[in-house]
Amino acid sequence: MSTQESTLAAVSAGRSWQERLEPYLAIVGPLAMIAMILAFMAVVEPARYFRLSNLNIILLEAALYMPMAMAMTFVITQRGIDLSIGSVAALTGIIMAFAIKQYGFPAWVAVGMALMIGGTFGLINGLVITRFKVPDLIGTLAMDLVYRGFALVLAKGLVLARFPDLITDIGRGRISGFLPIPVLIGLITFIVGAIVLRKTWFGRYSIAIGSNPESAEMTGIAVDRYKVYAYVLMGAMAGLAGVMLTGKLNAIQATSAPYFNLHVIAAVVVGGTSLFGGRAYMLGSLAGVLLLSLMINALVTLRIEFFWQSVASGVVIILSVGLYTWLQKKDRDGSKGVLASLSTPDNRKLFKLAAVLILGIVSLIVLGFVFATTTTGSG
Amino acid sequence: MNAVSAPEDLAVPVIRMRGISKHFGGVTALENVDLDAYAGRVLAIVGDNGAGKSTLIKILTGVHQPSSGTITIDDESLVLDNHSDAIALGIDAVYQTLALADHLDPAANMFLGSELTRRFFGIPFLDNRKMRKEAERVLDERLGVKLRSMNVAAESLSGGQRQAIAIARAVYHSDLRVLVMDEPTAALGPQETARTLKLIKVLREEGLAIILISHSLDDVFEVADQVQVMRRGRRVGVVNTADSSSQEVLGMIVGAGAEGETS
Repeated sequence: MSTQESTLAAVSAGRSWQERLEPYLAIVGPLAMIAMILAFMAVVEPARYFRLSNLNIILLEAALYMPMAMAMTFVITQRGIDLSIGSVAALTGIIMAFAIKQYGFPAWVAVGMALMIGGTFGLINGLVITRFKVPDLIGTLAMDLVYRGFALVLAKGLVLARFPDLITDIGRGRISGFLPIPVLIGLITFIVGAIVLRKTWFGRYSIAIGSNPESAEMTGIAVDRYKVYAYVLMGAMAGLAGVMLTGKLNAIQATSAPYFNLHVIAAVVVGGTSLFGGRAYMLGSLAGVLLLSLMINALVTLRIEFFWQSVASGVVIILSVGLYTWLQKKDRDGSKGVLASLSTPDNRKLFKLAAVLILGIVSLIVLGFVFATTTTGSG
Repeated sequence: MNAVSAPEDLAVPVIRMRGISKHFGGVTALENVDLDAYAGRVLAIVGDNGAGKSTLIKILTGVHQPSSGTITIDDESLVLDNHSDAIALGIDAVYQTLALADHLDPAANMFLGSELTRRFFGIPFLDNRKMRKEAERVLDERLGVKLRSMNVAAESLSGGQRQAIAIARAVYHSDLRVLVMDEPTAALGPQETARTLKLIKVLREEGLAIILISHSLDDVFEVADQVQVMRRGRRVGVVNTADSSSQEVLGMIVGAGAEGETS
């Protein structure tokens, strides 16, 4: 034991900066990127980006995603994924809108309904995954179509607008001299989420399930039940987001909230929660939400087209997953630098394949120009 | 090795399995197998792959149910419908995979599935501080293991330390009577193996009945009091390690010395 301890001590004394940094990566990563965005904008567009009204817009945008990012942290920690949250938010928003506008329900009843119905949709997702054994990716993608379809059936092309004060307060109200109400709601959900993660069976078992599902099963944890709980929480928080979105815009329609799923997943993943399960960082998810809102607002401020946002979300997911995986790789012996690893036989074959594809595209473009006829407008 | 008394001289075995058979469809995994485990004794079960060792202990731990045969604990007959039944009766197992969650710290792993809680306003919350204290106490007092840090994830611990946590999880239940260990040293180096064998001896001194499944006859002869040899789903013999040798046991495993068949 003593020799073992001394070797361990020797190892820890010689720890590299990477190992020292690792426990804090989740929070350092997004903060560094936030700092980069702020620095970039301070040079390029300081006047418009750092206006108080713009910061308010950024916070309001972030608040919308906070409850969902909290819940998604649990889902992803369990090695799950939920792609249906955008449609759940839209459908619950529309059901709430109909309850208020068509049937004259009081606003507080309708809000409660939205949360419960969102939770029910989450329950359906969870049961599809655990009982029908449909892989979560496909299961929630299919349910996304189902929920979106119901939203379209219910609302047709209608835009339901003008809601009672309670709804708009939830979406964009402000306690004077303090934070906007949605930001407050978002922060509260994160505080509750952090406590649940550390201090309850659900949080502990979420990590255990994501860490090693077989071990969790062997120690007597009801793996499927806790998975269902995570999806119910996810659904309820998507329902809350539906209410917040409706209140923020004071309007809702069937096609609202199209890219919620990727945006929320990007925020959680960039915050250091591992898609491979077992690593949960609540604070990282919050930082991730802020980062994405800052980034998208920067794109808007720079007058870059709205559609680039989806490109940005996707790139953020790929980059952060790739980066975290690379940083967590322990064994770097035998890798002789980038050039050497690129010239392995496997990679050379992939290069050839890529070259063939690019050559093919280029030659087709050339052929296209050679045999081009006069164009007609597509309209 | 200290002197081992023959099983006939001892009091009643804690666990007595009689005439256990198990069929999986048309395949006979076990046929008319007996097993006796005594308090404060280590019983090793050895045999080739497919000899029925794992099936036998899975029946004992309630994971499988026998096709026929009886199990008694302290002469009271048992029906084990699942693993939790066995744990409630004081029979637990440490699996080869250890069933640890790599991303959780040692205390969280030790209490995984049976966390200690504290109530605030009637709502149970995990009592992480108490679990950490208890984990440290159990590891130190019962297993003589001190970890450098209780804050690290289980994945950063050595094989022997992980083993200790898995054992601590089983022995924490104060009413544990029988501990089954499935290949505890299979993935360990020499130093870690020695430590694990020492742990087994500590537990034996505490009066647990230990059933050890192992492929390593060296380990078996180091810690076990008796060896039960299995071949093709049958018990081909039980020998005391004190008056046997690994050559004899090896012969029984491969079926060379036919005179060794006593069952």
